[in-house]
Amino acid sequence: MAEYPWACGPSEEKKLTVDVTPAKAGVHVSPEGAGFPFAREGPVRADFLESPGAGDTPRRSAMTAWLIKVLTLCLLNVAAALLLSPLFEGLMRKLRAAIHSRIGPPIKQPYWDILKLLGKEDLRTTGGVVYASLPALTLGSVLLLAALVPMGTGAPLAFAGDLIVVLYVAAMSSVLLMLAGFASASPYASIGSSREMMMLLSVEPTLAIALAVGAFKAGTLTLGGIVNWQVQNGPSISMAIGGLAFFLALQAVAGKLPFDVAEADQEIMGGSLVEQSGPRLALFRWAMWTKQLVLALLLVQVFFPWPHYGIYPIDLLLTMVKVLVVLILVTVVDVVNPRLRIDQAMGYFMRVAVSSLAALAFAVIGK
Amino acid sequence: MSMVNQATVTHVKEAVAAHSDGALLSATEPHADTLQFTIEKTGIRAVVEGLINDFQARFLISVGTDARPITGDFAILHLFSLDREHLYVLLECPVSEKDARIDSITEIIPGANWAEREFQDAIGVRPEGHPDPRRLLLADDWPEGVYPLRRDFPYNYQPPPAENVRPQLREPPTGASVMPMGPFFPVLEEPSYWRLFVEGESIVGCDTRLFYNHRGIEKLGDSVSTYNEIPYLAERICGICGFIHSTCYCQAVEKAAGIDVPRRARYIRTIMLELERIHSHLLWLGIAGHIIGFETVLMQAWRIREPVMWLCEEISGNRKTYGMNTIGGLRRDLPDQIKPKLLETLAQVEKEAVAVRSAIIGDTTLHARTRGVGILTNEWAKKICVVGPPARASGVAIDARLDHPYAAYDELPPQIATQTPGDTWARVVVRVTELLESIRLVREGVSAIPDGPICADFKGEIPPGKVGVSVVEAPRGEAVHFVLTGGDNRPYRWRVRAPTYPNLQAVPAMVANANIADVPITLGSLDPCFSCTERLETIDRKTRQVRVYSHAELLEISRRKGRGGVSMGLRPIRGEETHR
Repeated sequence: MAEYPWACGPSEEKKLTVDVTPAKAGVHVSPEGAGFPFAREGPVRADFLESPGAGDTPRRSAMTAWLIKVLTLCLLNVAAALLLSPLFEGLMRKLRAAIHSRIGPPIKQPYWDILKLLGKEDLRTTGGVVYASLPALTLGSVLLLAALVPMGTGAPLAFAGDLIVVLYVAAMSSVLLMLAGFASASPYASIGSSREMMMLLSVEPTLAIALAVGAFKAGTLTLGGIVNWQVQNGPSISMAIGGLAFFLALQAVAGKLPFDVAEADQEIMGGSLVEQSGPRLALFRWAMWTKQLVLALLLVQVFFPWPHYGIYPIDLLLTMVKVLVVLILVTVVDVVNPRLRIDQAMGYFMRVAVSSLAALAFAVIGK
Repeated sequence: MSMVNQATVTHVKEAVAAHSDGALLSATEPHADTLQFTIEKTGIRAVVEGLINDFQARFLISVGTDARPITGDFAILHLFSLDREHLYVLLECPVSEKDARIDSITEIIPGANWAEREFQDAIGVRPEGHPDPRRLLLADDWPEGVYPLRRDFPYNYQPPPAENVRPQLREPPTGASVMPMGPFFPVLEEPSYWRLFVEGESIVGCDTRLFYNHRGIEKLGDSVSTYNEIPYLAERICGICGFIHSTCYCQAVEKAAGIDVPRRARYIRTIMLELERIHSHLLWLGIAGHIIGFETVLMQAWRIREPVMWLCEEISGNRKTYGMNTIGGLRRDLPDQIKPKLLETLAQVEKEAVAVRSAIIGDTTLHARTRGVGILTNEWAKKICVVGPPARASGVAIDARLDHPYAAYDELPPQIATQTPGDTWARVVVRVTELLESIRLVREGVSAIPDGPICADFKGEIPPGKVGVSVVEAPRGEAVHFVLTGGDNRPYRWRVRAPTYPNLQAVPAMVANANIADVPITLGSLDPCFSCTERLETIDRKTRQVRVYSHAELLEISRRKGRGGVSMGLRPIRGEETHR
């Protein structure tokens, strides 16, 4: 089996419970599960790990090197997501304007928006530590997600969790936004939050099924493992269907039409965010832009990772180009659709979730 | 252009006499298409009931007049239209000051609800037995017992505000919570307050407070302006259908004074009215798209609309508020050299409007958001006397251009579009069809326009005491103007009923049991125009909720701002460029 630097540390050795043949895909079974690379016996396959020796000192230095590597990659991922997301948003605004026959704002406008909002007065409708910290927590949760998703190379925090963690972290920002809405003492925000909740509940199964298809095919719950498997085995019907389902879910999770019911400016004046302004709004907005970028990354990496050259800068660039294509598609769908009602959107995702079961069926018969 | 059947006139007269049961004081025929009956107020209910049962009379509006200086009494006048008979019927009741009450007709015609509350507020005649006699149009802090449309109330008088007042709004039923929509809300371009009673996302009832925009226009009309100034005032009733209101007013005065408008002027009025419909319907289409989050429709519809605005600017000097109408005709001709450009613009608009039509007709998501949404049944459309596209989308085939032909519509009859479902989608279809029909009408009008003068040669005084009723089919529905001529070169009473006035009254029936998400598009599908609707009374806008500013302070602030001038964002007038 070829070695790819996808999975950081030995986390790819984590075993999918449905897989009953340990020899399959050459995965080592470790009873205590995936975790810290030095905590147990067995072959350690952290590819960037240079120190093969035994004993305390080399171990410690190896650990330091590993930590530095993880931290650097983390920083790279977070910085890329944070700094590039306004750029992508700016490009999307330009595209939307072009379809509208407008000139549109400058591409760098979202950066100015953030800066401008950060410099404004911090107004709050209610007090409390939780309410005050919600914007930062939301952005933080999205950045955590960014560190869990591979960008051109292995995910920096891959050792810390698998698909399930990714799903939970992805939902976290929605939940935090919901809390902000419920806490802000406005009927519009409450309705926005309850709609957000309903959307989350209807979209989550689709996300889970789509990612489960990958996990089933690759026989692993780690993102790195799935991507690895994808790179080696090439396109398949089940993953294509899964990718499509994931794309539709992305449309909803990113709050784009026809599924932006939770914001719905014209009905509930921005929903959960109606009472947010200044720096708080800046962080929420930034979090949402970053989230759409990271989820697009996840889509691209898990479902369409080809071509993969193994050279970090080229792979990163390629990934970003693919992300741009995904976001362009998201925007085009956004622009040519009116908003569905919440019940219609929920019904839609119910059908999407059921249809995406077909992907699982294809995966079972090996397509 | 009398289309009135004399036999019908006799029939109506006999019927009114029979139903009034001796209460009929006089019956006159001011114009070939207008019958006026003066009835003792005790007989009003029976006559109204009879008119509706025998002739399917459609209620237009009530006019409360302070006629005390002339007759010693107030006069309450109910205006009806017999659409198929092309006839207006005016039922006038004298109401003495000592017993300022009249039987309410709202129980018989729900559509008279606001009209009766309005004369209660403005003149002080109480509609007895009205189901909802709350204040309608006066501000909440307007003192009780001060009636601004009475003749002894000076137009510039500001009464002291009443203390400790609150909007008289209903409380939600138990278990429901209030979701306020307004007074300022993103999709409502003008202030209106919809108090929605919701359980979850579903609406169990609603209450509304409107009339935040009174500008005292009717009062100005009978106290300050003169006949020839009012067309410009009337044009400013609405920012979109201004020409409709100025035409409607001029027609009412022309009718009252017996002025014959030259054919050419009638044609040009028709062309301008239809151009207004074209740009108004495109504007509405854009807003409707915006309301359901379909911004592409907004942007494209308004892009298509823009050349029409440029065309109007080239014809009149203004994109809107043309200032072309005057009593007796027009002040500005339609130059021949503009015709090629006009036809070219129409061809372009038509091509693009057809493209938009085919794009939206097949859009399934659009169907999902509009079909079966905001249904106005045929029964309720008739009861509330809804007009225009909302009426036609509910299967009520009325159109002022056909029912009471004015301008050049007797020679250019439109094909009207009707639908039966009465939902938002039906209203979309009706308007898009009308848009294309208007393009045809303008085209035919331009090719058939006769030569001749553009204004009647009318010298001398307009005689006092004459009535004139005029209707114009605005893009939003039928606008009604009533004029009672006065002696001092101005109307004694000028009454305006904009189409949104009856249409808004249908909203509670349309949003009942709907989803919150459907309220904006339901309301938007009426193409509501609040500034049109709210044109009455001088208002003392003291912002009593925010105690920081008094009226005088606000006035001072805005005056200071006005003197500053430069910071107001005033743009230089485009001179040469305008007449390229």
